[in-house]
Amino acid sequence: MSMKILVPIKRVVDYNVKIRVKADNSAVELDNVKMSMNPFDEIAVEEAVRLKEAGVAVEVVVVTCGIAAAQDILRSALALGADRAILVEVDVAQSETLQPLAVAKLLKALVGQEQPGLVICGKQAIDDDANQTGQMLAALQGWPQATFASKVVIADGKATVTREVDGGLETLAVTLPAVISTDLRLNEPRYATLPNIMKAKKKPLNILTAASLGVDVAPRLITRSVNEPPKRTAGIRVGDVAQLVDKLKNEPKII
Amino acid sequence: MTVYVAPVKDLMFVLEEVAGLDEVAALPGCEEVGIELVSAVLEEASRLAEEVIAPLNKISDQQGATCANYEVKTSPGFKDAYKQFADGGWIGLTCDPEFGGQGLPHLLSIPVGEIWNSACTAFALCPMLTSGAIEALSHHASDDLKARYLPKMISGEWTGTMNLTEPNAGSDLAAVRTRAVPANDGSNAYLISGTKIFITYGEHDYTDNIIHLVLARLPDAPAGVKGISLFVVPKFLLNSDGSAGARNDAKCVSIEHKMGIHGSPTAVMAFGEETGAVGHLVGEANRGLEYMFTMMNNARLSVGLEGVGIAERAYQQTLSYAMERIQGRVAGREGTLPIAYHPDVRRMLMSMRSQTEAMRALVLVAAASLDKAARCADAGERKRHQARIDLLIPVAKGWCSEQANEIAYTAVQVHGGMGYIEETGVAQYQRDARITTIYEGTTGIQANDLMGRKVARDGGAAANALILEMVATAVQAQGVTELTSMGDGLAGGVADLKAATDWIVENYVSNTASTLLGSVHYLKLFGTVAGAWLLVRSSIAAQARLVAGNGDAAFCRQKIGTTRFYIDQVLPLTASLLLMLKRGTSSLDAADLALS
Amino acid sequence: MSILVIAEHDNATLKAGTRNTLSAALKLGITADILVAGYNCQPAARAAASLAGVNKVKVADAAHLADGFAENLASLVVSIAAGYSYILAPASTYGKNFMPRVAALLDVAQISEISAVVDANTFVRPIYAGNALATVESKDAVKVITVRTTSFDAAGDGGSAAIENVLSPADLGCTTLVERELSVSERPELGAAKIVVSGGRGLGNGENYQRVLAPLADKLGAALGASRAAVDAGFVPNDYQVGQTGKIVAPQLYIAVGISGAIQHLAGMKESKVIVAINKDADAPIFQVADYGLVGDLFELVPQLTAAL
Ligand SMILES: Cc1cc2nc3c(=O)[nH]c(=O)nc-3n(C[C@H](O)[C@H](O)[C@H](O)COP(=O)(O)OP(=O)(O)OC[C@H]3O[C@@H](n4cnc5c(N)ncnc54)[C@H](O)[C@@H]3O)c2cc1C
Repeated sequence: MSMKILVPIKRVVDYNVKIRVKADNSAVELDNVKMSMNPFDEIAVEEAVRLKEAGVAVEVVVVTCGIAAAQDILRSALALGADRAILVEVDVAQSETLQPLAVAKLLKALVGQEQPGLVICGKQAIDDDANQTGQMLAALQGWPQATFASKVVIADGKATVTREVDGGLETLAVTLPAVISTDLRLNEPRYATLPNIMKAKKKPLNILTAASLGVDVAPRLITRSVNEPPKRTAGIRVGDVAQLVDKLKNEPKII
Repeated sequence: MTVYVAPVKDLMFVLEEVAGLDEVAALPGCEEVGIELVSAVLEEASRLAEEVIAPLNKISDQQGATCANYEVKTSPGFKDAYKQFADGGWIGLTCDPEFGGQGLPHLLSIPVGEIWNSACTAFALCPMLTSGAIEALSHHASDDLKARYLPKMISGEWTGTMNLTEPNAGSDLAAVRTRAVPANDGSNAYLISGTKIFITYGEHDYTDNIIHLVLARLPDAPAGVKGISLFVVPKFLLNSDGSAGARNDAKCVSIEHKMGIHGSPTAVMAFGEETGAVGHLVGEANRGLEYMFTMMNNARLSVGLEGVGIAERAYQQTLSYAMERIQGRVAGREGTLPIAYHPDVRRMLMSMRSQTEAMRALVLVAAASLDKAARCADAGERKRHQARIDLLIPVAKGWCSEQANEIAYTAVQVHGGMGYIEETGVAQYQRDARITTIYEGTTGIQANDLMGRKVARDGGAAANALILEMVATAVQAQGVTELTSMGDGLAGGVADLKAATDWIVENYVSNTASTLLGSVHYLKLFGTVAGAWLLVRSSIAAQARLVAGNGDAAFCRQKIGTTRFYIDQVLPLTASLLLMLKRGTSSLDAADLALS
Repeated sequence: MSILVIAEHDNATLKAGTRNTLSAALKLGITADILVAGYNCQPAARAAASLAGVNKVKVADAAHLADGFAENLASLVVSIAAGYSYILAPASTYGKNFMPRVAALLDVAQISEISAVVDANTFVRPIYAGNALATVESKDAVKVITVRTTSFDAAGDGGSAAIENVLSPADLGCTTLVERELSVSERPELGAAKIVVSGGRGLGNGENYQRVLAPLADKLGAALGASRAAVDAGFVPNDYQVGQTGKIVAPQLYIAVGISGAIQHLAGMKESKVIVAINKDADAPIFQVADYGLVGDLFELVPQLTAAL
């Protein structure tokens, strides 16, 4: 099979950073905060690269929609083994309000150009936790989808995907082309090797604009404010089990 | 224990603004190097260090390497982490592309090395020693030996060691007694016999071969330093196809129980207890020590770098503790605040931070000189940079390792009782840092080298050339309104360095012993002023960025604050160091009297 | 303002989250319609009709809806969407799977996992694993919403809505079910349980997990949960996972055993009414959110607790 895989990725506040809400409650502080590739997207890149290494795919193309600085995550993905990268560049203001529907439409335009046999994306980005883009892209394309994947097998024009669902696991077979979204246990992403970091520098990275793809990226949701959640404060330490049982029995409506 | 986060932002800033990344990128063979590549390499190295290596640091302290039946079992997780590290191609960063390396400059390997050392010094030692062995072979071995050993060492499939020290030969390697005799079996091999001690990663369970570089004497060798040769002695002899074959007579008989770096096995090596360990001569006979000296600069810089790495990690952990621990009311402030706000704790935190940043800048500037000395197209330029690097190495090694100890000590102090309790893990930094002032030449040896070979011998020429650059920086800072007082401070420190240097040039030959009494004072004086110089240069760049409105304003302001603190609270040491240096004659006399 | 709630069910009974989703819907209007899409799902439809506040139950009963595939579900919802201003579903893996398709086909945004309704157009939703709350206003004519079920009370019984059959569009035929390995358990559903007993890496292995935690859960009639570390280590199946990417729970009582309390785990349980933490590491972050912390060896303390209750 000479399939191409498209992997959309997003630059988000690093997993380990403790976020802060801006003083004016307009957004989460992004200035001078470490940014990285969304962890679910790393898993998507890894899966695509493994499929290529297994001979199932011939090319892995990564794409991100974001500001110029997002090129760093594209380079990271190239260092992990992707072949080519596309940045759909938006300005800072647009990037702050770029929403899943708009991204799905940008991706649809790219799918039209690239004609991939499979799109693998992260199930959600750890910033807005929306969990929408892959499903939206699939709907706009009229493709099947397999979300929350923990295992992917490609054979005979089908993807057989095990999904992590609330009640356990579910395995579906979907016809290709399709969209797959990754869950945490699909794979463990590799670390980039130094030779591959060097090679990544020479791999092609194309820059397009949203306008050139004919997509309106205006937001549909307006953020009115962003607030810290009410803080839960530490209670007390109890000395032993008896004391704990005593406390629980005095709490209303529990035991 | 807190997580380690590599200081990529500061590393990039110093590389770009102080160490001259652009100049190094313009050197022949560095065409690949640029801000983008460097930041990508640092980011990816950070990921591996933060996620895979750093979590092993504490475990390796608690469960160090163990030895039984000539075999060593490394700390939990080390073997897998080593595999990931080697598979990542990190060992070959500066190595020759002909043998599978990436041929990148030291200006890239040094910051990456800081990250490995912060993550886990005991782990980082193995690749560091391997790099040393690779370098020695690259420069001096025959093409045949290079072809047989380099590719597998550069890929990390095999590791390397340096077998110098013997029970009676530590600082003084001229006393080496290990013997090498021609095998006389029709091959060009030698049989090596003798005992080496303190051999870092002399034995381990990472790889299926270990390549020892061994200093030994040939039967007809002249006495002293000119009679030592260098041999390559593999743990397993190589088959004709280059694979590892029969076991060589080179064994680890035990490993040491140490104060720190418990994860790094320090082996007693017995060569030739039975038939003689088979080895091959590297380069020419009797030039072994000379060869060692050609790679000494890198090795010594790497140990200074260990100091920076440990200092950075200790600072990160200490800052986070100080921001959480609440104790007492803070003078001059309202409300409940953590101990980080007590003025004395602030002093400790800032002394750690400002010195760590100064040390980092010093090793990066030295790394740039290493690259220029090796790669400049113009021979005169190469020579100039070689003189600079020869001068800076003992300072970078000696001062950074000494300050790392002070910083680790302060880290424990900020933690109070919890620092003394092993649970927090902060005591480990103090124990790990302790070795850095000892191996690769003690601080005393570095100071001798600086004072005798690097300053007195050329009449202070290299030192004065550097001092002139420092003066220029002071003048430049004095010309920037916001930085005038730090310029004044630097000028004062440089004046002390100049006075000390002149005094050494005047007195060294006529009065060697009493000058040497103050050699470590001079080394510290030099390091302290060099650190100030580089911090002021950082602040000049930071101020320019602030004015131009580019980059991270908060970072730039912090850099200026850090420099001001250093100028106020660290640099004034120079006056007393100068005074102590000049009192050498009288102090030596006093010591003779007391110790008589 | 008409409102459509998509029921989550197993054809026989409604999943608990359907009730919470309905009560979120009833903050937007006086009544709501419920769509029950499935195969032989009349019992579930009748259950939906008896919920308080339901105006009408629409039932799409077809073989190709049996397995709840997103493609077919979305095209069904879109086919009956005309006239609705709000379409809501629980933010379970069921709802998260097909609702974005509905939104995309209607060319509107989806408002994911709302935790509060501010007004007709404005909602609160957690972002950054619940470390911030965003108040967002929708500009779209139709609002496609998934609901964080733990943030809304369960709607009560007492309704008697009419049940109406609707036709479903043809099978898209792109997906087939290969296998389903659903955990069968006598215990309450994790996402809706009043008490959750949750275990982490501190339990060491799956055997210990069952041996130590099951008796306590039995005694309390609690659901069992786990941290990501415990799931990754294979102690228990994935559907036990509580956290940012697992299940969000908000029981009356959450007992965290041998769980250190990574921020991503806290995201999934910090709305619990009372949190108890048992851990031998006194510095574990879980203690920062626990109402009652007990430092010590869980292998001793948990059996003691089970016996004492
Ligand atoms: C953990 C560890 C790992 C090591 N790894 C290796 C390794 O991999 N390979 C290897 O070959 N060696 C290794 N070493 C050995 C190390 O390099 C030596 O310990 C070091 O060079 C000092 O030698 P020494 O211990 O004999 O001390 P000595 O030389 O006995 O020094 C004792 C004291 O005398 C001072 N002194 C000695 N000579 C002079 C002088 N001329 N002027 C002024 N002061 C002087 C020193 O400064 C020091 O304070 C390691 C040592 C340790 C502890």
